[in-house]
Amino acid sequence: MTSTLYWLQGGGCGGDTWSLLNLEAPGLVEALELLGVELLWHPSLSRGSAREHRQLVEDLASGARPLDVLVVEGAVIRGPGGTGMFDTVERRPRKEIVAALARRARFVIAAGTCASFGGVSGAGEVEATGLQFDREEPGGFLGTAYRSGAGLPVVNLPGCPCHCEALAGTLAALLSGAAPDLDEWNAPLDFYGLQVHQGCLRNEYHEYRVEDADFGQRGCLFFHLGCRGPLTHGPCNKLLWNRRSSKTRVGVPCVGCTRPDFPPPHPFFRTRNIAGIPLDLPDGVDRPHYMAYKGMAAAAAPERLVARKTRI
Amino acid sequence: MSSTLTLNVPLNRVEGDLEISAEVREGRVTDAWCSGTMFRGIEKVLLGRGALDGLVITPRICGICSTGHLAAAALALDAIAGIAPPPDAVRLRNVLQMTEHLQSDLRQSFLTFAGDFAGPAHRQVPGHADAVRRYEPFKGETVLEVMRETQRLLEIIAIVGGQWPHASYMVPGGIVSAPSQRSRLQCRLILRQFRSWYERRILGCTLERFAEVRSRDALQAWLEERESHASGDLGFFIAFARALGLHQVGAGPGSFLSYGALPVPEDSAVRGVGGSGYLVPPGFLQGGEVRGFDPWSITEHVAHSWYVDYEGGLHPSVGETRPYASGNEGRKYSWAKAPRYEGQPAETGPLAELVLAGHPLISDLMKREGPSAFLRQLARILRPSLLLPAMDAWLAEAGGPLGYYRSPGPIHEGEACGLTHASRGALGHWVRIEGGEIAHYQIITPTAWNASPRDSAGRRGPIEEALVGTPVADPEDPVELGYVVRSFDVCLVCTVHSLRRGRPAGRLRLGT
Repeated sequence: MTSTLYWLQGGGCGGDTWSLLNLEAPGLVEALELLGVELLWHPSLSRGSAREHRQLVEDLASGARPLDVLVVEGAVIRGPGGTGMFDTVERRPRKEIVAALARRARFVIAAGTCASFGGVSGAGEVEATGLQFDREEPGGFLGTAYRSGAGLPVVNLPGCPCHCEALAGTLAALLSGAAPDLDEWNAPLDFYGLQVHQGCLRNEYHEYRVEDADFGQRGCLFFHLGCRGPLTHGPCNKLLWNRRSSKTRVGVPCVGCTRPDFPPPHPFFRTRNIAGIPLDLPDGVDRPHYMAYKGMAAAAAPERLVARKTRI
Repeated sequence: MSSTLTLNVPLNRVEGDLEISAEVREGRVTDAWCSGTMFRGIEKVLLGRGALDGLVITPRICGICSTGHLAAAALALDAIAGIAPPPDAVRLRNVLQMTEHLQSDLRQSFLTFAGDFAGPAHRQVPGHADAVRRYEPFKGETVLEVMRETQRLLEIIAIVGGQWPHASYMVPGGIVSAPSQRSRLQCRLILRQFRSWYERRILGCTLERFAEVRSRDALQAWLEERESHASGDLGFFIAFARALGLHQVGAGPGSFLSYGALPVPEDSAVRGVGGSGYLVPPGFLQGGEVRGFDPWSITEHVAHSWYVDYEGGLHPSVGETRPYASGNEGRKYSWAKAPRYEGQPAETGPLAELVLAGHPLISDLMKREGPSAFLRQLARILRPSLLLPAMDAWLAEAGGPLGYYRSPGPIHEGEACGLTHASRGALGHWVRIEGGEIAHYQIITPTAWNASPRDSAGRRGPIEEALVGTPVADPEDPVELGYVVRSFDVCLVCTVHSLRRGRPAGRLRLGT
């Protein structure tokens, strides 16, 4: 049985699309075939003419053609003053197309942080929002009560960009009829039920509080360099990127790009501290115990870590 | 007078949102308007943020050229901090930018540009069945191979920089990672695998053999020399694009701009082009004459852009950006501003780079036929052949004693621009830091140059100019316009503007 998919790009950078092309074994084309997905339209990859596309959108919006999956990449731009004229398609606000297609789709997937929560686009001055969240605030463009044809809220796949496996895996789950378990942000637990910190090769440095204060070393990036790995949910260090590595593995502090508050108001690459202990502790940890534990851990750190001999 | 037809064409298979409006008379475009239809307002995200935050935010402007933005952001911060990254950091920054170029050139050429070769408009053109076999979206042999090979290639960026797209591994003073010998060797193997595929599938010969093709006559002889030359995707492109007459459309303004990019470390065996110290030399070419590049000659106009008006053009270090959605009436028609060099529109991208570098084949074709959609696309297909040898050399040379990072310490104050080339051409970030925060951030992207609307003197932008004169066979499916526009490889998601508090600039330091 074939399922139809329409890919809509709103206020974003296209990065979730290029991330999706990283999909391997099976690759994107093969995966779509195996899942029986008919890709009706992708703005970067489809060939149809403008006229054909106009007709397609009309047919999907009227219900003349069934729409199984609507994937939205990028935030919904509502400005200026709620008009949506900062982002138009043939002089019509794109947000109208988002609303029309969301009414018809059996499933709606928000690919990336912009579509999920607003993200980088939402932090600007264009009144951009995620589909069902505006940063941490439930509601967003479609409202809290929105449910797609299959009775589900928008399934959020945050990440800047979203990991290709999260997208392919979620699509497979939805089309197989198995609704994925979602967390409080409506993101599938299979991909967002773990921290970016898990699987980081610097974990032993973290364990013994062997911390770096500048780039280019092997130690942990959490205490001084603003790493958000222990506060961010996502599969970066489990599934890896481009099959090879991750930001924290090579020494780029996690910027927390799957979080609804991304980008946060405070600077990147600098940890906010109280008495030398980060203001934001790892998810769910209480301060007095953490301070005691980290003090002991630092005292117990083996020389090979202190001297950064252990490779990563 | 014959009737005038106005076509409005929203264009797919470009990055972001571009709509073309064209006036057609007697089957030819007589005037054109190029409209970026989305404003993202990235400036508000950057202003007031930490000094390093451009390294995180600006790559996220663009999904396909995030490495270019990262490089420009890092170069501006290098210059503000007054620090020179160690030579191996320069090498790896270059290699990763070039890796992004390779994937972009191949994907643009064969997933995007060639898609229409397989379309219904060309059913009668000889070779159409072959085009379908190669370029049918999601099915064509070349399409599938390009997807597979570019995906593998990008592993190089992940090995050194953590991920592609959107990583932040370049920082002022170098790069954050110190790739081991094993990592560098892995990168070289991936690169060799890619090169071998590119030679086999795209060129149909070795890089060395193709480098001997130095003129149009030599190109013709090369095509006839062996079956593999004619049947490679380069050979097929040449035959099919010329059968469609793409060498006779899309000339553009005839002026070409390069900021200079890919600096060559002094201790490298790789030589800069023309003694410039860069693999992509800086310069401005107009009327057959090459002049030195002066970053102060850049201005931006908003007379036809949806921003609050100012007189003439402003330099990006003192400009302003105040969005002004006036509706659809009046003379404003794009969210893109109009950058000008010495007051003139200028084209940037692989064709500009190769012409300014004096590439023999491209220069000969330019002399004989002038610029065209064909030549622009040919330059893009050939650029990998020029990048690959230097990439391998730099990966082999890296691993020296100076490491990959030199700490600049905290960055409190300063102003500079980071100039480089992203995959689509000249990219600049103009940055001012005050009290450790971003006080000013202005970006001019390659597509801002190429897809610019008219300026305050009413001069068309390069794509608008290139469209004039293009024949249109079927107004319902004007594929010809698509070829001309896509030959510039436009990327509208990038076309953001971000200057606020204008202030006379002092001496501007250049990070290149």
